[in-house]
Amino acid sequence: MSAQIAARALTRGVGNLVLGVLALAALLCWPLLVDNVFYQRIGALVMLSALSASAWNLVGGYAGQISIGHVLFFGCGAYASLLGYTWFEWAPMVGAPVGIALSLLLATIVGTPTLRLKGHYFSMATIALAELARIIVVNSPVLGGGVGVSGPALPRSMADLSFISPVPYYYIFGGVLAVLLLFTWQMSRSRMGYYLRAIRGQERAARSLGVPAPRFKLYALLVSAGFTSLAGSLYATMVGFVDPDSGFGILLSVKMVIAAALGGAGTLFGPLVGAALLVPLEEFTNAMFGGGGTGITYVVYGAIIVFISRFAPGGLAEILTRLQAWRARRAG
Amino acid sequence: MILAQVVLNGFLMGAVYALFSSGLTLIWGMMNVVNFAHGDFVMIAMYVAFVVFTALHLGPVFFVPAAAMLLFLLGVTVYFGLVRHVMRGPMLAQILGTFGLALVLRYATLWIFTANFVSLPENLLGDVVTFAGLRLEPSRVAAGIAALALTIGLHLLLTRTALGSRLLAVAEDRNAAMLVGIRPDPMQALAWGLGAACTGVAGALIALFFYISPLVGESLALIAFVVVCLGGFGSVPGALVAGLTIGVVESLTSFWIGPAFKDVVVFVLFLGVLWFRPQGLLGKA
Amino acid sequence: MKITRRPLLAAPALMLAGRAQAQGAPIKVGTLLPLTGVAASAGNSAKAAIELAVELVNTPRPDLASMPLMATTGFPAIGGRPLEVVIADQQGSPSVAQNQALRLITQERVVALTNGYQSGLAQTASAIAERHGIPYVNGESVATNLTERGFRWFFRTTPIGPDIAAIYVEFLKAARIDGRPVSKIAIVNENTEYGTSIADVIRRTAEQGGISIELQIPYAANSADVSAQVLQLKGAQPDVVIFISYTSDAILYARTMRAQGYRPPILIGDNSGFSDDNFVQTAGDIAQGLINRSAFDPSRPGSNSFKINALYKARTGREMDDTTARMMQGFLVACDAINRAGSTQPAAIQAALRATDLSADQLMIGYRGVKFDDKGQNTKASVLLVQLRGREYVSVWPTETATAQLQLPYKGWE
Repeated sequence: MSAQIAARALTRGVGNLVLGVLALAALLCWPLLVDNVFYQRIGALVMLSALSASAWNLVGGYAGQISIGHVLFFGCGAYASLLGYTWFEWAPMVGAPVGIALSLLLATIVGTPTLRLKGHYFSMATIALAELARIIVVNSPVLGGGVGVSGPALPRSMADLSFISPVPYYYIFGGVLAVLLLFTWQMSRSRMGYYLRAIRGQERAARSLGVPAPRFKLYALLVSAGFTSLAGSLYATMVGFVDPDSGFGILLSVKMVIAAALGGAGTLFGPLVGAALLVPLEEFTNAMFGGGGTGITYVVYGAIIVFISRFAPGGLAEILTRLQAWRARRAG
Repeated sequence: MILAQVVLNGFLMGAVYALFSSGLTLIWGMMNVVNFAHGDFVMIAMYVAFVVFTALHLGPVFFVPAAAMLLFLLGVTVYFGLVRHVMRGPMLAQILGTFGLALVLRYATLWIFTANFVSLPENLLGDVVTFAGLRLEPSRVAAGIAALALTIGLHLLLTRTALGSRLLAVAEDRNAAMLVGIRPDPMQALAWGLGAACTGVAGALIALFFYISPLVGESLALIAFVVVCLGGFGSVPGALVAGLTIGVVESLTSFWIGPAFKDVVVFVLFLGVLWFRPQGLLGKA
Repeated sequence: MKITRRPLLAAPALMLAGRAQAQGAPIKVGTLLPLTGVAASAGNSAKAAIELAVELVNTPRPDLASMPLMATTGFPAIGGRPLEVVIADQQGSPSVAQNQALRLITQERVVALTNGYQSGLAQTASAIAERHGIPYVNGESVATNLTERGFRWFFRTTPIGPDIAAIYVEFLKAARIDGRPVSKIAIVNENTEYGTSIADVIRRTAEQGGISIELQIPYAANSADVSAQVLQLKGAQPDVVIFISYTSDAILYARTMRAQGYRPPILIGDNSGFSDDNFVQTAGDIAQGLINRSAFDPSRPGSNSFKINALYKARTGREMDDTTARMMQGFLVACDAINRAGSTQPAAIQAALRATDLSADQLMIGYRGVKFDDKGQNTKASVLLVQLRGREYVSVWPTETATAQLQLPYKGWE
C-alpha cells in the first residue's frame, strides 16, 4: 500500500519535473520559434511585467502587505537610467544601480512607518506615496518635469543595449526574472519565508510567537523595491523614454498587482503566469479592436478580468489547486 | 475678500468631495471591500442626469432621484453578480474584480456616448448670486446642502434605525449576525445599493456644474479614496469632515503656493494623519 | 489569433517591392492615435478626419483638384492602387505606442507611419520607425526636440514651439503699439509636456522681445476645481492671460471664470483644449472674444479649408478643430509623397518626402507651404490668430490674411 503511494508520488514528481523542463525549454526557445517581431516584443513585455509583478509578489503576495504604490520604485529605476544619460551621457543601464540604491533608501525611509499600517490603510498610504513622487517629478524641471526624459535617440555603442530586435530584451528580462524567482524560491523555503507566511496569516499571532514582523516585512520590501527598480531601468532602456505617467503612474502599480493576483499571489510562478496571460490579452485586444476607437479594447480586457475574479477569486493558482484536489479525489 | 471667497469655494468643493465619498465609505466600511469602480459610478450618474435632461427635458428634481434609483440597481446587481463571489477570495480579488469592472463601465460608456465632452446648461438652478460680496453658484450651493443632508441622513439611518443596526451587525461580524437571525446577503446587497445610490445623487449634482466625459471618474476617484481613508473607513461623519478639510486645504494651497502643489499638501497631510492616527480621523481604533 | 510566419526584419523592403506589382492591392499607411485614455476625444476627432482623407484620396473629387491626389482615384503614379489606413490606438502610453508602431510595420506592412499625438509618444514610436527604416510623418506634435534627434526617417509638418511663441509675441507688441497695456502678462499652463514646453518657449520669446512674464501658474490638468487660480488672477489683475490647457481644464476654467466674474482685458487660450470643438460647444458661449492660435481657418468660403471643414461637418456634425486639421494635413503629405515616390519602397518615399515642395493652395490648412529642412521640419509652417465669435473661430491676425476685425477687450459671457 505504502509502496503504491510512494510510486504514485514518484511518478507525479517525475511528471512535474518533465513538465517543468518542458516549460523551461519552451520559455527559452519561444522567441526563436516565433519569428514574428511583434510577438517577440510581446514576449519581452511579458518577461518585464512578470519581473515587476514577481518583485511585488514578495511584499504583496508572500508577506500579504498589499502595496499599490510599487511604481515608486519602478519610476526611480526608470528615471535614474535616463537621467544618467541626460546628465552624464551614461549608458542607460549604468544608472540602474543608482536607481536601486535610491529605491532601497526610499524603502527604508518610508517602509518603517508605512508597514505599521494595516490592510487598506497600508494600500492607501502606498498610493499616496507614489502619487507624491509623481507630483514632485512633474514639478521639477531638473527631473524633466512634465515633459519626461529620453535615452539616446540612436544607439551609440553596444553598452546602450539598444537593439532593433526584441529577442535580446526577452533574454535579458528573462534572465533577471530567473534570478529573482530563484531567490524567491530559496526564500520561501527559508526561515524568512515561514515568517512572512505567518505574518500574512495572522500578524498578531506571529508577533506573539516571537516573529520579528516589522523587520522581516522591511526585508521583503527592500528586496522587492530593488528588483522593481531594476525592472524600471530595463523598461527605460528598451523604450528610451519616460515621463511622469509612464514612470510613476498609478495604473502601473495596479497592473503589477493585477498580474500577480491573476496568476496567484504568494505563489512562485503566479506572477509569471498572470503576466503571460495579461500582457498578450492587452496587446491582442488592442491590436484587434483598438483602431475602432470605440473602447471595446478595454471592455473586453476588463470583462475578462472581472470574469476571472468572479469565478476564481484566488487567481489561476486557485483553479490549479482545485484541479489537483479533484484529481487527488478521483485517484484516491 | 478674495481670501474669504477662496475659503468658501474650497468649502463648497469639499462638500462635493464628501458627497461622492459617502457612498464609498459606506461600502468600504461595511464590507471591507475597496471599490475601484467608484469614480465610474459617479460618471454613470452624471450620464444618467445628462440623458434624462436632454432626452426627456426633465430638470434636477427628476434626474437626481432617477440617478439614485438607477445606481441603486447597479449597486445591487454588482453585489450579486460580482462582489458576493469576490468576497470569498483574498482582498486582492476585490482589486482585480472592481478594477475590471471600472474598465468595463468606463469604456462601455465611451462606446455608447463617444469620448466627447458634454455638459448640462450652466444656469439650470439660476444665475450666480452675490451675497455680502461673495459670489455663490446655486448649483454648488445645492450640492453642498445635499451633501450635508445626505451625510446626516445616512448617519441617522445607521445609528438610529433597526435597519441600520442590522447593517452594522453584519458589518461587525457576519457569522454572529447570522446566529441572531439576520441574513447577511440582503443586508450587504442593501449596503451596496445604498452606497451606490448616494453616489448617484452625488454624480447627478456634480453634473450641474462639471463637464461630463467617460473618463471623468478617474480624476474624482483618487480624491474619494483619500477622503474615505482620512475620515476613517465606514465613518460617514468622518467622510464629511475629511471632505471639507481637503476641499479647503486644496483651495488655500492652490491660492497661496500654486495649484501644482495642492495634491502634495493633501497627500502629506493624509500620510501625516495616518502615521499619527492609523485609523483615520473619526475611525474606530 | 493565428500566428503567421513571416520573414525576419531584413526583408520588409524587398517584400513590399515585390507586392507593388499586384494591381489594385491597397497601399497601407499606419496612423497612431490616442483613442482611449485622457486624450481620447482628440484622438477620435482625428480618426474621423483621417477616414475622410482616405475617402477623398480614393474617390475623384474635382472640387478639391488644387490639392494633390484629390482629383484622381487612389495613387495614380502607382497604378491607381487605393489607399488604406490602419489606425492603431496608442493608449497614451509610450510603450504601447512602440508596440503598435512595430505591429503596423511588421504585421500590417504599412509603407509609412503618421501622427502619434503626444510628443513623447511620437518620439518613442518614431524611434521604432527609424530603426526599421520606415518614413514617419508627424502632423501635430510641437516639442522642438523631435526634429533635433538626427533621424533620417522623421518628418514634421506642424509649426513648432518657437513659431507659436513668435506669433503671440508679435501680436502683443502690436497690441502695445495700439495703446493697450501689455506689461503684466500671466501664463496659466497645465504641467505636463504640452503646457510646460509651450509656456517655456513663450516666456523665452517674450522676454527676448522685451515683454516680461509677470506670473506663471502651472497646474495639473485633471484638477477637479480651479477656482483658487481664477481668484489668484482676479487679485493680480494682469493685462493679458495666456492659458495653455487641455479640453477638460479649458472647459473648467471658462466656467469658473464666469462663476467668479473674472474677465481679463485680453485672453489667449492656446490651441489644444480651446480649439477642441468640445470646448467650443460646451463653453464657447461664455468665452466670447477668446484669442487662439490656429493654422486652420475654415471661415473663407471657397477655400480648401472651408470645403474640407464642410465635408467633415457633414460626416461628424462637428467643426474640424486646428489639431485635427494639422493631423489630417500631415497624413495627406505622407500620401502625396508615396504617390510621388511612384513606389512603396521606403527609401523612395523618404526621397519623395525630402523633395516635397507644396504650395499654400495645395494644402487644406493655412501653412505657407510644405518643404522640409535637413532635420525633417517643415520650414513653411505658419500660424495665425483666431478669435471666438459665437460658436466659430474667425481669423483676426495677421491683418493681411484676416477675415474679421479683432475685437477687444475680451467679452466672455456678454
